[in-house]
Amino acid sequence: MFAAALLSACEPPQPPHLQQGTLLPSAKPVADFNLIDDKGESFTLKDLQGRWTFAFFGYTHCPDVCPTSLSMLAKVMARLRQEENLPSLPRGLFVSVDPARDTPATLANYVKYFDADFVGVTGKSQQLHTLTRQLGILYAKSGGDSADDYLIDHSAAIILFDPRGRFYALFNVPHDPDKIASDFMLIRNYYEASE
Amino acid sequence: MRFLLALLALTTGMVSADGGLAVQNAWIREAPPGASMMAAYLTIDNGSDQDNALVGVSSPTFPRIMMHRSETVDGIARMQHVERIALPAHGSVELAPGGYHLMMATPDPQPVAGERVALTLHFADGGEQQVMAPVKKKP
Repeated sequence: MFAAALLSACEPPQPPHLQQGTLLPSAKPVADFNLIDDKGESFTLKDLQGRWTFAFFGYTHCPDVCPTSLSMLAKVMARLRQEENLPSLPRGLFVSVDPARDTPATLANYVKYFDADFVGVTGKSQQLHTLTRQLGILYAKSGGDSADDYLIDHSAAIILFDPRGRFYALFNVPHDPDKIASDFMLIRNYYEASE
Repeated sequence: MRFLLALLALTTGMVSADGGLAVQNAWIREAPPGASMMAAYLTIDNGSDQDNALVGVSSPTFPRIMMHRSETVDGIARMQHVERIALPAHGSVELAPGGYHLMMATPDPQPVAGERVALTLHFADGGEQQVMAPVKKKP
């Protein structure tokens, strides 16, 4: 029995069974990128490090899917704030894939409405693409009546970065805040045991 | 203000007596400050024997209301403009987050939670119904 206990202690931790999230087979390092945050300051890979980050990709002219997702993410944060075993809350990041219309000031007003701790970022198309292509996030303009009036099709997934800034897990739709919060705690425990 | 009240009375007066359609649970999602677009949702029950369709929505608060449908296919969220929303006989259609919704440019001043906004629904059979939609802060 003692030997069995010893053996199990030496075995690598098993990936958790998640309700909604998908864990990457191995955490994927992300190459550096250079975006602008909602204060107009540079936001790079370094800013993803030190904390877990939930990231959602969208645009502020989107009245339906994006507010629904950000409200949902705010609920995840509210659940996690009640967790006693969580020393620091993950960052909530909204990446605007519409830099032509979403300025840092627009983003600040928008994201802070959902959660005062959310951070909005955007950037030049090429820099956005540098980040999104590493994550499998897709987006493209569609429809619209004029150059300023268009819609954007975009990936609806929420990406989870680990505190080393690596692509660690993703959450596809439909999103349920309770399931995502409990999945996050399992993912975090697994990460702590694995590192 | 007097003009708006008169307009409202006029609009209300135009409500059709079609008992077959019932509009319920209308609400408008409060937009973040400065957000350019807002969305509204509601449920329409068609209790009649006739197929019908929602062909437009108007409001004194919003100069232009469009009907849209969001859908997520293969992980990509898309929004499409629709000209009409079918209301099958004895059926119910829900305009809800992530699906059919009304989309309108945010007016100035921006309607906030607690306010109520008149929406007039226009149907394919020529009928109209007016609802008062509360602005709400919810997903």
